[in-house]
Amino acid sequence: MRQYASIRTKMLEAFRRRMYFFMAMVLIVFTMFLAQLFYLQVVKYEEYSLRSRSNMESNIPIPASRGEIYDRNFSLTEDNPVIASNRSSFNITTIPANFDDDALLEQTIKKLSRLLQFDYQSIIDQIKNSNPWDRFVIKEDVEFDKIVKIASYENLFPNIDWGDAPVRVYKHDNMFAHAIGYIGSINRDEYGNLKNAGYKHYQKIGKTGIEKEYDMLLRGVDGYVRRIVDVKNRMEGEEIGQHPVSGNNIVLTIDYEVQKTAYEAMAQRKGSVVVLKPATGEILCLLSKPDYDPNQIISKDNAAILEELYKDKDKPFLNRAIQSRYPPASTFKLVTTISALEEEKWDPERKLYCPGKYTLQGYIDRDFYCYSVHGSLDMRHAIGKSCSVYFYQLGYSIGPTIILKYANYFGLNNKTGIDIPGEIDGFIPSKKWKLKTFGQPWFDGDTLNLSIGQGFIAVTNIGMANLVSGIVNEGVLYKPHLVKSIRSNNNQGIISSHTPEKLKEVPLSQTTLNVVKQGMRIAVKNGTAARLGYIKVPICGKTGTAQTRSRRKDDASQHAWFVGFAPYDGKPEDSVVVVVMVEYGIAGAVSAVPVAEAVFNKLYRLGYF
Amino acid sequence: MAKKNELQNINFPLLVSVILIVVIGILMIYSTGFDPIDKLNNGLYKKQMVWFGIGFVLMMTVALINYRLMGDYSLYIYIGILFILVLTTIFGTPVRSARAWINFGFFSIQPSEFMKLGYIILMAKFLEIRERDIQNFRELMIPSLITIIPVFIIYMQPDFGTAMIFIPIFFTMLFLGGADVSQIGSIISIAAIGLLLPMILTYTEWVGQGNEDLNPIISFFKGSDLLFIIAGALLMIAIVAFVLHFFFIKKIYRKIYIPSMVFSMGLFLSVFIQHFLKDYQKKRILVFLNPTLDPHGSGYNVIQSKIAIGSGGFIGKGFLHGTQSQLGFLPEKTTDFIFSVVAEEWGLLGSTILIALFAVIIFKGIQIAFEASDKFGMLLASGITTMFFFHMIINIGMTLGIMPVTGLPLTFVSYGGSNLVMSLIAVGILLNIHMRKTIR
Repeated sequence: MRQYASIRTKMLEAFRRRMYFFMAMVLIVFTMFLAQLFYLQVVKYEEYSLRSRSNMESNIPIPASRGEIYDRNFSLTEDNPVIASNRSSFNITTIPANFDDDALLEQTIKKLSRLLQFDYQSIIDQIKNSNPWDRFVIKEDVEFDKIVKIASYENLFPNIDWGDAPVRVYKHDNMFAHAIGYIGSINRDEYGNLKNAGYKHYQKIGKTGIEKEYDMLLRGVDGYVRRIVDVKNRMEGEEIGQHPVSGNNIVLTIDYEVQKTAYEAMAQRKGSVVVLKPATGEILCLLSKPDYDPNQIISKDNAAILEELYKDKDKPFLNRAIQSRYPPASTFKLVTTISALEEEKWDPERKLYCPGKYTLQGYIDRDFYCYSVHGSLDMRHAIGKSCSVYFYQLGYSIGPTIILKYANYFGLNNKTGIDIPGEIDGFIPSKKWKLKTFGQPWFDGDTLNLSIGQGFIAVTNIGMANLVSGIVNEGVLYKPHLVKSIRSNNNQGIISSHTPEKLKEVPLSQTTLNVVKQGMRIAVKNGTAARLGYIKVPICGKTGTAQTRSRRKDDASQHAWFVGFAPYDGKPEDSVVVVVMVEYGIAGAVSAVPVAEAVFNKLYRLGYF
Repeated sequence: MAKKNELQNINFPLLVSVILIVVIGILMIYSTGFDPIDKLNNGLYKKQMVWFGIGFVLMMTVALINYRLMGDYSLYIYIGILFILVLTTIFGTPVRSARAWINFGFFSIQPSEFMKLGYIILMAKFLEIRERDIQNFRELMIPSLITIIPVFIIYMQPDFGTAMIFIPIFFTMLFLGGADVSQIGSIISIAAIGLLLPMILTYTEWVGQGNEDLNPIISFFKGSDLLFIIAGALLMIAIVAFVLHFFFIKKIYRKIYIPSMVFSMGLFLSVFIQHFLKDYQKKRILVFLNPTLDPHGSGYNVIQSKIAIGSGGFIGKGFLHGTQSQLGFLPEKTTDFIFSVVAEEWGLLGSTILIALFAVIIFKGIQIAFEASDKFGMLLASGITTMFFFHMIINIGMTLGIMPVTGLPLTFVSYGGSNLVMSLIAVGILLNIHMRKTIR
């Protein structure tokens, strides 16, 4: 019995020893748990807190209202003529990754496509090609009653969100198409370049014109609604995370009335009109024809319209005021005149005889024709009557170098730097260029052509407008611009106002200026632009008719120019420059001058002079 | 029947801790049953309260019946529950593809829960009877059998988590019952080798998917022939060494035959498991080791649980305000992941209090085992404590991301009548042993 008892005690002791071992294990485990709890809840609290928030929060962007665009006569007190504004509408979006499986996604999109009437296949293809975590815009500009329907059948449309999405409205349709431009969905390249500037893939961006150039100022800052959702994306509550900030408004230098007049006067003509104030570079009118309706471009069913516009041989998207080059023709005689007077001390009183043609003597004699027989005339009348023979002789006499030099002085070979994108350079040839391109030296014939603005030379409308501005401004050229001021979104504050930016200064003597202006005055009084003579303000002008060859038979084979300004004897600050260019017109006097007539009349009535 | 002075001896700290934990559990079930969008409660907390009432009555009843009586009837209790378990496994109503429940219409019972208790009672009784012979390796045959039968049946239901909980209880009870440590070590080694090898293979195959270089290695091992040959060779060595040992009794032979036997058995087991464990089960263990392997499957649960716990911070998001649980990001929030809800809504403070209460229960259990008046009492108390302990570490460890996802409830807290009632009965037994500690 004693032996049994001792074994028992020994065993009891063994049990207790092992029990201590077990207790140690329990203690270790409890310590581990507390350590892990501390680690998760205290050390890593921030991280897990963030992850828990991102689990339940779904941020839905509230698009900012894009800034409005007004014409130059904007005032705080009056009801202003708006050129571009917004109207409220809704769009339908989703985050594809929220769908548990593709079948549910496809099913939901299919149901939506029946309700909202869009092409199911193209949308589902787009969704599959997009990043599933990015918000995808299924349809824009959805009617309110459709939204109500989707909202009331939420369980039929899981993960489908909707939100405000203001739609841009261009009030005057085609009239400002090229100046203002239009907006569109941001594309891959634009997004890649601009995402660091805060652009989101679902946003709109200006594609051309003012909308593009001033996009950063117009776009504003999107806000967002913070939605609390459960694991099935059912909404538990929502609050405004950040209010959107509307974009800044823009006041243009363009005068709506002038633009409208030019637009109507151009009618079916192809070409462009630029009206600007030479003393500051403010553009009063920038028009290009043919045009398009930006409202259609940004509309939801724009595919057909876009296709039609892209196919159009007349290239309506081309801004002919800044993106096309034409031979300046007789309007270039102004440059020839200036270079002769400035560099060669040419006597403006010297008379030359015009028998209707000029024969260039050489290995083979070549005749260069004038459109008429002018007889004997001095320089002023040669400009006024646009006598080519006078300028052939003048050009031959002074040589091409100084003519080209002055063309360059006036910046005809460069962009003017207007504040909308896409402007192209003008083109001024050179002896070197000709040798390189054609393997031929510069011939005298080239000089004769150059002196009347034909041949290789090609300029833009805005470039010509700047040239005339330089004459009015006594040699000073300003950068033409379209934006007068940028205002805060409530119009109360002025963010920035445009200050004239001097491009260059061409040294011109007063005599030179007088001769040129008088010549241009003669053109209006009893020359090629005599049609403008009756207008009460003294106008100076110069027409041009460029010989060209159209690819199309039914087009006239000439480009018609009119460049001019008024008043003849006014200060630069009171002057306005008008340049009209009509593609395949009949002649400057026939096609371009009537447009200028309408514009000058309007300017006069508006009190610009 | 217990005498009056025995009832005065009731262990109040244990009883109060248990009641507090159950109350916390009911509050949490209320919280998780609340739908913040429909503003409705699914009412599960009421059911849990009913189960608590039933369990409490049973607990007090069990506390008053002398536990030694249970020892006497332990075999019948075990066989009786086993019988019901087998019937359930064959005829039970499948819930989520597992035949683990007997449905009584308005409530259902999970016999595998009660099997745990029946198993612990029988093990305690057996280890008491065989106290002096348990060092003998052959004596381990019967407890192994007692363990393997319910494990196998529950595994067939299939309920992997519940089946696996028997294993640590088995080893701990053997250890506390005085079995030879080297023998237990051998068995654990066999199991470890048997489990580890298939895991490594599954991992290489899964992670190396499409990796041409790995294909020959995988097919080499997957064929099982090589493992079989190695295992056979080791077995031969073991037999030869054993025979030599039998004749010459030199220690060196013993040193050869035991490890080679262990390795051989481990390899055989691994071949067996390779064919037996389903792919998803192998993957589940792997996902525990590396949750990023499967962020949508069981890895998702752990990630969401850690987010819930971590975002709770020090004082928590407040009762009914845990977004992870209220908005449904946390899966199985009423059962397996209820601890995460506590930690989310009540923070480090609340979860530490809960763990402290568990610590009280476990240390009280250990104390009761120490003070028990007989070996059966000691083993029974330590067995029950072990059961509580392993449930707790596996469940909380899972929610904290330091244990694999097994689908075990958190005792007293998780929603579920069978587990609650069984656990309360187990507490009744602990109280019972405590009340009778002075009787020798």
